[in-house]
Amino acid sequence: MLKKFDKKDEESGGNSNPFQHLEKSAVLQEARVFNETPINPRKCAHILTKILYLINQGEHLGVMEATESFFAMTKLFQSNDPTLRRMCYLTIKEMSSIAEDVIIVTSSLTKDMTGKDDNYRGPAVRALCQITDSTMLQAIERYMKQAIVDKVPSVSSSALVSSLHLLKTSYDVVKRWVNEAQEAASSDNIMVQYHALGLLYHVRKNDRLAVNKMLSKFTRHGLKSPFAYCLMIRIASKLLEEEAGSRDSPLFDFIESCLRNKHEMVVYEAASAIVNLPNCTAKELAPAVSVLQLFCSSPKAALRYAAVRTLNKVAMKHPSAVTACNLDLENLVTDSNRSIATLAITTLLKTGSESSIDRLMKQISSFMSEISDEFKVVVVQAINALCQKYPRKHAVLMNFLFTMLREEGGFEYKRAIVDCIISIIEENSESKETGLSHLCEFIEDCEFTVLATRILHLLGQEGPKTNNPSKYIRFIYNRVVLEHEEVRAGAVSALAKFGAQNEEMLPSILVLLRRCVMDDDNEVRDRATFYLNVLEQKQKALNAGYILNGLTVSIPGLERALHQYTLEPSEKPFDLKSVPLATAPIIEQRAENVPVAVVKQPEKVAATRQEIFQEQLGAIPEFRGLGPLFKSSPEPVALTELETEYVVRCTKHTFVSHMVFQFDCTNTLNDQILENVTVQMEPTEGYEVIGYVPAKTLVYNQPGTCYTLVALSEEDPTAVACTFSCMMKFTVKDCDPNTGETDDEGYEDEYVLEDLEVTVADHIQRVLKPNFGAAWDEVGDEFEKEETFTLSAIKTLEEAVSNIVKFLGMQPCERSDKVPDNKNSHTLYLAGVFRGGHDLLVRSRLVLTDTVTMQVTARSAEELPVDVIMASVG
Amino acid sequence: MGLFDKLAGWLGLKKKEVHVLCLGLDNSGKTTIINKLKPSNAQTQDIVPTIGFSIEKFKTSSLSFTVFDMSGQGKYRDLWEHYYKEGQAIIFVIDSSDKLRMVVAKEELDTLLNHPDIKHRRLPILFFANKMDLRDAVSSVKVSQLLSLENIKDKPWHICASDALKGEGLQEGVDWLQGQMQAMKT
Repeated sequence: MLKKFDKKDEESGGNSNPFQHLEKSAVLQEARVFNETPINPRKCAHILTKILYLINQGEHLGVMEATESFFAMTKLFQSNDPTLRRMCYLTIKEMSSIAEDVIIVTSSLTKDMTGKDDNYRGPAVRALCQITDSTMLQAIERYMKQAIVDKVPSVSSSALVSSLHLLKTSYDVVKRWVNEAQEAASSDNIMVQYHALGLLYHVRKNDRLAVNKMLSKFTRHGLKSPFAYCLMIRIASKLLEEEAGSRDSPLFDFIESCLRNKHEMVVYEAASAIVNLPNCTAKELAPAVSVLQLFCSSPKAALRYAAVRTLNKVAMKHPSAVTACNLDLENLVTDSNRSIATLAITTLLKTGSESSIDRLMKQISSFMSEISDEFKVVVVQAINALCQKYPRKHAVLMNFLFTMLREEGGFEYKRAIVDCIISIIEENSESKETGLSHLCEFIEDCEFTVLATRILHLLGQEGPKTNNPSKYIRFIYNRVVLEHEEVRAGAVSALAKFGAQNEEMLPSILVLLRRCVMDDDNEVRDRATFYLNVLEQKQKALNAGYILNGLTVSIPGLERALHQYTLEPSEKPFDLKSVPLATAPIIEQRAENVPVAVVKQPEKVAATRQEIFQEQLGAIPEFRGLGPLFKSSPEPVALTELETEYVVRCTKHTFVSHMVFQFDCTNTLNDQILENVTVQMEPTEGYEVIGYVPAKTLVYNQPGTCYTLVALSEEDPTAVACTFSCMMKFTVKDCDPNTGETDDEGYEDEYVLEDLEVTVADHIQRVLKPNFGAAWDEVGDEFEKEETFTLSAIKTLEEAVSNIVKFLGMQPCERSDKVPDNKNSHTLYLAGVFRGGHDLLVRSRLVLTDTVTMQVTARSAEELPVDVIMASVG
Repeated sequence: MGLFDKLAGWLGLKKKEVHVLCLGLDNSGKTTIINKLKPSNAQTQDIVPTIGFSIEKFKTSSLSFTVFDMSGQGKYRDLWEHYYKEGQAIIFVIDSSDKLRMVVAKEELDTLLNHPDIKHRRLPILFFANKMDLRDAVSSVKVSQLLSLENIKDKPWHICASDALKGEGLQEGVDWLQGQMQAMKT
């Protein structure tokens, strides 16, 4: 009803809505007309409409007001005007939750529901079920059962749908109506059959066996209603999904048989169900795809749209299966419906061969301006996928993307394009120059701050490495002149990066930065002054440390440390090395089909986790003198099997010259209490156990924590990797599981845990160096060591790279963890900070012959880390 | 009222409409009485306890009655008062075989008579001492004593014994009511 008015609204510009300025109190005053005799049906219906309008507008009716007008409304039942009566039903439904004693109309509704007028019966059933609660349901149960099997379809449907609603509140009562629903399911009316099936399914939803039985029964007998078939297909595919695997089940056969149904709706539903099944094979897909192919040439636009949309989805997972439809899709490219055409083209882009790309791009650019932003994003995603597939085509695709970039569009759309271009640049070094210059053009006229700063950052990073870096300077400096603060600050940083890496450009950069020092904005001025001073020193190490590779500490950690420092003033200068390092985000493998999605970085959470540990450990007096916490192992290691008497998990904390092992123990026996729990550790190498901090008591199912402190070996500092054998020692006291009372006497006991490994990775924190080369030069070759190894067990470069990264626990830089295809040599750059705060860089050159040969070069400002690396690799 | 309606009224073709409330304890036979008064083709076979109320219509020789048949169950008796204002007459049904609950009926009747919407109006009240066919039923005179009907001074009232299942005594009561309504009009 509301919709009707809204529509009117749109047509005639808002002022014609007769209900626009309704006053609640005035309307309720008007509602007194209901009490008059004789009743004027037209007037009353109009007032009811006003009340309903108010309720739907979100006007709040108090309980008193609502009840009063509700009772007034009940008097309208004496009129036999059909319109008024149906308005009454609507009002009852709307007010059932606001007014009190709505139950008063039960008998009136029951009378209408069992009466002779079919127009009243259906709506009366719906209204009745709306006002009935579970206690009253018993009283009308008999009528409901009759209504479900009524021969008038509208009554039967109403009863079935209302039962479905009642199912939520009174499952047990509605469950008894299954026989009636069963009878209704064999009705000739398509809607009744559909609703009956729906009710039957929801009653049995929790009983897999019953659902299976129901499905097989209906598949045998067949149904008239296409809606019911669609529902069956959905139920079947849901069951198949839960079963996972077995495709030769009768359920799958049923779905497949529906592909030959005479109703298009059912055929489509079946096809889309098959397509959406997880891990579907090409053979199973084939019939579904061929059905969709037929739909592609249907005269109905809705069918064509549905088909091409589904094919588009299939193309993501099984491009080869869709190839057969290419011809039909080609025809749809010129479809007058732009949505269909766009989907057709993007599908073709996913499935098509390299040769057809040029043609398709030309086609799509002809109507790019006519489609909406959402579809444009779809196109961009398709192009991105294409770039990864056919790197050689990047020139065409890039050009296309830039024409798109120049056109009008919203933020989401622009961001998708920029993301896509950046990922192309990263993937494909050939496209770097053109890509960067196009992006430069884009920021000349870019209204989105986020995108502009992002591009500036990229320029600063990639620009200096190109052949002709000077051409970017103009674009960047233009930003300083033209844009607002945030962009200006970004531009200053980018300029400084150019200056740090190019000797010959340095003088001009210095001139530009000096101009920026006069800027209006604090941030811009600060940045410019800082960079200017650093650059004027003309020291490579400074450049690398302060311009190219920024701070690597965790920001909340730094804040805390500084706060601490100001609270306890001391003579010593603040030591940055005491600040915990930011755990470098583990770069997730981007999912193949969503290349433009922003990878969320769990940085903040990781930082706070370490904070918590630091606080916990700092509270224990034994650990006060250990200095700042360097690293905590990211995942606790389980030292027991699951489902054993005691569950113990260990977290390793590394300090400058000590390690603390934190054991989180849980006692899973409810008739025991453990006291004085410690974990005894026996090292194999030069570690020395210093002390234990026991957990006082371990009550059933409440985790407790005990610690073991070990010192690192001083004689042989390179021996960091070690295996500890662990044994839990404790005093057992038996207790009553019910009352928790314990015996006074306890006895000593031991429990053997699994061995705990400490590896090099526990001593190194990952740190991302955005510019590895600069960092490499900064550290210098004072303590450089190089060795060559053969990795006989490893057969591919990818495997070697991932093993090395995992073993050393260092951060791969410059995307060197990705091995390009078809190459038999690769260089991996790893960066980290060794315990004690020394940067540690490892370059490992890999060559693939039959096995992988690895040349490892390690650099650090200290000798120890280098030795440790060499010792551990060897 | 349209012109045609008025014309019909003058000519006596259209009957005057009267709103009647049908009240009484649960299981006293209200719905059965109303059902019996309806034309035989509109009567229902099975009578179930009324929940809330239902509206029924029947006609006599000169009047058209609209009856609000209220539920007599305890929890719904509070809802009667919502309909007092519209009532132009009251039919109060008593189960004359239920001596035990006669006091409850009296209490409800007193509450009704003292309600502000009823108290100062000269509403005709028709009492049906129903179920007179049952063996342990008390006579209508006894019922009127038990309910102290003689104390009702400001309203015309009438009591008649009835058997709603067979329809005995109903016509007598309705004829009295019709007479009262016409008398009040003139």
